[in-house]
Amino acid sequence: MPVLFLLTVVVYPLFYAIGLSLQYYRVGGFAGLHNFAFAFEDRLLGASLRATALYVVLAMGIECLLGLALAVAVQRTVRSALGRTLAYLLFIVPMVTPPVAAGVIFRLMYIPEYGIVNVVLRDLGYHGRPILWMSSPGMAMFSVVSVDVWQWMPFVFLVLFAGLSAVPPDMIEAGEVDGAGGWARFRHLELPYLKPLLLLVLVFRFTDTLRVFDHVQVLTMGGPGASTEFLSLYLYRIAFKFNNLNYASALALYVVIVVSILFAVASRYLSEELA
Amino acid sequence: MTSADRAAEPCTAPGRAAAAPAARPRRRRSLLRGLVLASLGVLAGVYLFPFAWMVSTSLKPTRELYLQPPSLWPLHPTLDAYAAALVGAGDWVLLRNSVIVCLATVAATLAMALLIAYPLTRLGVPPRFRRGLLSWLLSLRFLPSIVVVIPIFATVRTVGLYDQLPALVLIYTAFSLPFAVWMLKGFLQEVPQEVEEAALVDGAGRWRAFFRIVLPMISPGLLAAGVITFALAWSEFLYALILTATPRSQTFSIGVWSFVTEFEIIWNQMAAVGVVSALVPIVLLLGARRYVISALTFGAVREKA
Repeated sequence: MPVLFLLTVVVYPLFYAIGLSLQYYRVGGFAGLHNFAFAFEDRLLGASLRATALYVVLAMGIECLLGLALAVAVQRTVRSALGRTLAYLLFIVPMVTPPVAAGVIFRLMYIPEYGIVNVVLRDLGYHGRPILWMSSPGMAMFSVVSVDVWQWMPFVFLVLFAGLSAVPPDMIEAGEVDGAGGWARFRHLELPYLKPLLLLVLVFRFTDTLRVFDHVQVLTMGGPGASTEFLSLYLYRIAFKFNNLNYASALALYVVIVVSILFAVASRYLSEELA
Repeated sequence: MTSADRAAEPCTAPGRAAAAPAARPRRRRSLLRGLVLASLGVLAGVYLFPFAWMVSTSLKPTRELYLQPPSLWPLHPTLDAYAAALVGAGDWVLLRNSVIVCLATVAATLAMALLIAYPLTRLGVPPRFRRGLLSWLLSLRFLPSIVVVIPIFATVRTVGLYDQLPALVLIYTAFSLPFAVWMLKGFLQEVPQEVEEAALVDGAGRWRAFFRIVLPMISPGLLAAGVITFALAWSEFLYALILTATPRSQTFSIGVWSFVTEFEIIWNQMAAVGVVSALVPIVLLLGARRYVISALTFGAVREKA
């Protein structure tokens, strides 16, 4: 059974990682839990975790709220099939753009001297110093989040829009006869249908923002300083720039444990939807 | 759907006297509708603009890059940047690598996914094992790749596959399998058991029944799964970054990225490779657009557009 192939590709590296994580860096030899304990003293790791948390909250939050609002707005205003198909096509384009290419796109737009964003700002009457979108800490965070939102807000939109289309139309009509206004219609008629899908979207966006790597690597490479050095980029640097595979494995195992616990909790609710 | 019954609760809305057929609320509503439509139009512009800007930059000759103010469209459009990047910088080799890796991944993924999905849906597999396997596959989707890549890197290096295309094919296959299995499982379930049984009664063997009856019936699913696998493998960056070192095995994503890291970025060439790398999955997935959402959510959402 090819399941065996998957098992070897996934399980063998796991044991290999455990082996690595129990050894000392460079000198080798059994280190016990030294690498695991060191994580608690690692201040760079702390900074990286804080940056990651901020990124996850910002990107996931904006995507979900905007996507939800947009799904409701389009559902209510765009009635023609052509309009809906156009919206669908429009939104599928950023989603299927490779993250690396998305990074390139925004890198082009955010060039400080002649990038289109700063030029437009200048035309709108902003005459301060050019904004350094990628090389000042706050703005760098904004830039990488904006790419994520551009790419993945459509995902939230499309999933929730599909959910809204599943609400039986006669129920909406009945609600209108009963005098349900816009908000009541959303709160009592549509939201119950969307709840499982919202959960699904949250799980997907949470895990994806948690492991973000590609477009950040193109846009800021974790900089300036460590302001956008998210978990994946930090692990990458330790493992492949400092060649400390031992410590990196220990950190990776922490992540596996945390993600597994989260998945176990989420899958209880998700499996009903998926199976 | 579990929440359907809750939705059926009578709604307690504020407006009791809905009988008022006043013209004013209706006009206000259509005004609101117009506003929403207008802002949706603006949003569509915002969404498309970044892409258009990349295309426009890629068509500009180098002189026009630094115009103040920059022109929206190239004044003298040229394909020079494409030629310089693909031929001059030798990125066509990476393009070729990418195509090889993606095609091999698609073939391997489809074959393996069928080998897993078919027994799961057709043979008497205990339901507990079935559920367990499917949810384990799903969990692989959520594992951050950087976590897996560290031991994989170490393993690949010891096995001697470092900087070789087969290593990438192996990894991509392993990580496309979960969604491919889920997707094909859905399609296989839609083929009625009776059709196959009829073929068996008529004297066809299990293999023959599979190749002659089942496979043609799920061919749209195979095509969609193949296209999506191709696009995902095409876009992949992290494994390629870590498991390759030279143009012998680097994929096109790496080519795009290496334009960014160079000391002086040549913007129009960078835009050109960006366009090429984005265009392939966009064209492919617009063809398979009906299945994109369904594949990305492991079949939880069925989209019809």
